[in-house]
Amino acid sequence: MDGFSIAFNEITLVLFTTLAPAGAVGYLLMSLPVLLGRVNEDDRRRLDQYSCLPLAIAMVGLIASATHLGNPSNALYVFTGVGRSPLSTEVFCAVVFLALAGMYWLYAFAETPRRWLQRILVAAVDVAIVLFVVSMAFAYQVDTIITWSLPLTPVALILNSLVGGPIITLLGFAAAGYRGHGPGQGRLLVAVAAVALVANTGVYLVIGAQLSGMANELVSASSLVPGFIPCVVVFALLAAAGLAVAWRSVGRDLTVRSLVAASLLVLAGIFVMRFTFYMSHLTVGLGV
Amino acid sequence: MPYAFHTNARRCTGCKACVMACKDQHDLGPDIAFRQVYEYGGGTWERREDGTVASDAFAYYVSVACNHCANPACSQVCPTGAMHKDERDLMCVDVQRCIGCGYCALSCPYRAPKVDRDAGHSVKCDGCTERVAAGMKPVCVEACPRRALDFGPADEIVERYGIESNLLPLPDATATSPRLALTLPTCVEADPQRVARDGAVLNLREIV
Repeated sequence: MDGFSIAFNEITLVLFTTLAPAGAVGYLLMSLPVLLGRVNEDDRRRLDQYSCLPLAIAMVGLIASATHLGNPSNALYVFTGVGRSPLSTEVFCAVVFLALAGMYWLYAFAETPRRWLQRILVAAVDVAIVLFVVSMAFAYQVDTIITWSLPLTPVALILNSLVGGPIITLLGFAAAGYRGHGPGQGRLLVAVAAVALVANTGVYLVIGAQLSGMANELVSASSLVPGFIPCVVVFALLAAAGLAVAWRSVGRDLTVRSLVAASLLVLAGIFVMRFTFYMSHLTVGLGV
Repeated sequence: MPYAFHTNARRCTGCKACVMACKDQHDLGPDIAFRQVYEYGGGTWERREDGTVASDAFAYYVSVACNHCANPACSQVCPTGAMHKDERDLMCVDVQRCIGCGYCALSCPYRAPKVDRDAGHSVKCDGCTERVAAGMKPVCVEACPRRALDFGPADEIVERYGIESNLLPLPDATATSPRLALTLPTCVEADPQRVARDGAVLNLREIV
């Protein structure tokens, strides 16, 4: 009944909830120049084609989540629970996002893509992303799991996506060779991630304080996650290091290598906190 | 017609014949049990002024499986509808629909559903629904040498044993409205505050 074993058993879900929200928000932010029509034809084409990068990050997360299923061949039944089961709603939103994003990406290779159709498609993808991240944030809001049904639990995941997403967008820009409107655009993205990081750290400290007083008849939350606050510190340091690398890269020339390093640092920080989330699983009764 | 279990925590000796009968009936290995017996106790030894030693220890046993709740968490979160009430209103797993995601196991406050990783789907107490259909009681009930367990139509169980369904270490009944009637142990009836203050689950390593 130790938290580490619980989280390790759900390691694919830790990966999923680390990668998918960050990849999805990264995709959304990367699509904004195209959506707003502020790019020339050449930039638009490269941004469209390299939008597969954040999409691939989100898809790796989704594939990871599917591997924890005992019997994926029954997966289509998941759609019968949309609106009733939070997990069904989350999977449905994920599938809509991936289907629309996949269609958009394929259409980008058309010889003469119609701009208006592309913009409608990318707007639809962005709406799907918002719904996906929100549905994911509320996927584990079940009254009987007292450590997961905290009011700030969904906020933490949404902020995770806002810490990781902008850095993945920068990586996408670098891979596409897109410089946009100069370093100001990149700095704005790092600033958004920095503000989200500060808020996210604060949210985790509040969650940590709430967890310290929780227990059922079998175990206490603080014994399941004995190092919650040190983990928050590790998260903040890793993510801050990632943002610093990204900031430095923005100030010079966006390089894929430095932004891969920045993304890995930020995602590693988020991974730590997602791991503690699964470690903290505790029901109101006899479940751990 | 909903069914309910009755557990008599005054009679139960914690022998676990119910647990083993259930494992036998459902062919369960060492890692999965549909029924658990919790040993709950506390108290200490005290030396009196005259030099004698007295104990105020208390202990009782609670045998619990799925309570086929009226407000079940497991089926509410199940994404596929595999976790469902059958025609006898007993919570069962439809293995043709279950994806083995484990959300039912995560959400149940009674530890009732488990994911059988080898089989690839959730498994749980189905109230021995086939035995019930044949007019018999669940095997755990029939195995109990102290007749501390009973099972039957919910209204008959309530009429016979009352409506009490709160007893530590079980979760508060408001969480899922379990179909469970309890006969409380004498130590709880005598001093429930003391039991709540000093009690703890004493057999954690036996719980799977």
